[in-house]
Amino acid sequence: MPRFALLLLCLLFTACMFGRQDTNDPLDAVTIRGLVPGTTTAREVVERLGAPSDVVQLGRRTAYRYDATTTKSTFLALIVVNFGNQDTRSDRLWLFFDERDVLTHYGASLGTHRTQYALPWENVHEDPDNEARDALRPGVQGK
Amino acid sequence: MRRAARTSRACVAMTVAGLLPGCLSLSYDRMSVGEPVADATLQALRPGRDSLADCLGALGAPECVYEQRAGGIALLWFWKETAGWGLELSSPSDEVPGRLTLELEGAELPGCMLWFGPGLVLERWRQGTIGDLLRDRVRPTLVDQ
Repeated sequence: MPRFALLLLCLLFTACMFGRQDTNDPLDAVTIRGLVPGTTTAREVVERLGAPSDVVQLGRRTAYRYDATTTKSTFLALIVVNFGNQDTRSDRLWLFFDERDVLTHYGASLGTHRTQYALPWENVHEDPDNEARDALRPGVQGK
Repeated sequence: MRRAARTSRACVAMTVAGLLPGCLSLSYDRMSVGEPVADATLQALRPGRDSLADCLGALGAPECVYEQRAGGIALLWFWKETAGWGLELSSPSDEVPGRLTLELEGAELPGCMLWFGPGLVLERWRQGTIGDLLRDRVRPTLVDQ
């Protein structure tokens, strides 16, 4: 019987898979906090953050998008029944410029550090989890 | 003798169980993309009063930004939460070719959209599916038009 249990245990060990996929480097929250609407220009933004991933023309205004994405996948195969979970979060930054290319507004959502390896019955959006991860990322406080 | 029979039955059961995934598998999958915008956050928005800066501060960065008629803009947030069972049946034999996949996931792509006038003051907002929210989107126009 112990041999049987050992064999079963070995089978279970081979049934767990973890995967991670990152697109772009996470955005630097400290650099984002240094942007000043009414003062910072598009040129200065590009010097600090590099080339945007998207530029949208909004009449005489323009908007630049910066983003990064992290996906964490967990897969548990129990012979006939399998369980899978995939959690994808992103960092997004939209910068709005007037017709003189001066920053007027910006909005940032930083979430790549909140991505979790989890099983499908777990809630990956719990506030305590998010707050614990936020505390470890420089420049990110609260939400 | 009885112990040998039990071991034999266990081996057969394990072999069958090991071969079964080749033709039948049941799965429970969950996919989460992004973070939902809280309903309370949307309800707190004040059309006609809140500025673009207020809304970006409350909701964070949108997924997409669109130009609207008369110099306005629209911002779209969306996220994805799907979870459910799936069943896959396939035949390992060439004589009986076939494969059946049944997905029981509830696919929902909810989102919300905020419309701003030329002065970048919130005009209205709406929740719904992405298809509904993007229905009256306009293509970008030339600057001089």
